[in-house]
Amino acid sequence: MAKYAIAQEANQQNLAATFKTQAAVLAGATARRGKLYEFMVGVNGSPPADNELEIDTIRMTVDGTGTAFTPNPLDPADAAALATGKVGYTVEPTTTANTFLVYFAMNQRATVRWLAAPGSELIYPATTASGLCLRAKAAAYASTMSANILFEEQ
Amino acid sequence: MRNPGGVFISSGPAGDHEVDTFTCAHCQRVTQVRPKERPEDLGGFCTCCAKLVCASCHAAGVCRPIEKWLEQQEAKADRRREYGL
Repeated sequence: MAKYAIAQEANQQNLAATFKTQAAVLAGATARRGKLYEFMVGVNGSPPADNELEIDTIRMTVDGTGTAFTPNPLDPADAAALATGKVGYTVEPTTTANTFLVYFAMNQRATVRWLAAPGSELIYPATTASGLCLRAKAAAYASTMSANILFEEQ
Repeated sequence: MRNPGGVFISSGPAGDHEVDTFTCAHCQRVTQVRPKERPEDLGGFCTCCAKLVCASCHAAGVCRPIEKWLEQQEAKADRRREYGL
């Protein structure tokens, strides 16, 4: 199974008091199941301060408006991903409220990484536009953050 | 935890903080696991699929493994495509 990375290194959007999708992976037109097995989030905006950020990972059913990001194969010998990567959403994808898979709060000065053991990854179905969003919100911090998703296709 | 489903690592000025996680076998919600925490305090143990599940899935009292949910979603999409919707 090929592994890919989606990094939100450009097109970053400022955080707000409501959830904003930082990076997402979704099944493409030729749909194939995928497994999100790791993500990393950190803050790269200024000024450094002790603000609280909330992060979650949630399933999407309809895509929103964001910048396409071609998933990078971790092994250069692998073929291009069938899944679509997107970052910096300006119109949020459709999600079902309160169905987050991962939710936590973090300090603005921290960097957080979650990785799954084999068999415990977050799986999205082989259904076009179904996927997983990595979102963030902050009550007081209103600048950008960086997010990175690692996933594999079955 | 003997066989954690994942690990959550937070690094900051105060140092690193690491905690095990498990992924619900039914809905895939990720839950933090404190050292020596009992399965019933995390949610529960599904005696049907023999896996750890989160509190809300345990309260639902139905065994619906994630694989079954994925198959349902894909079958639904196939039917919509067949009908041209």
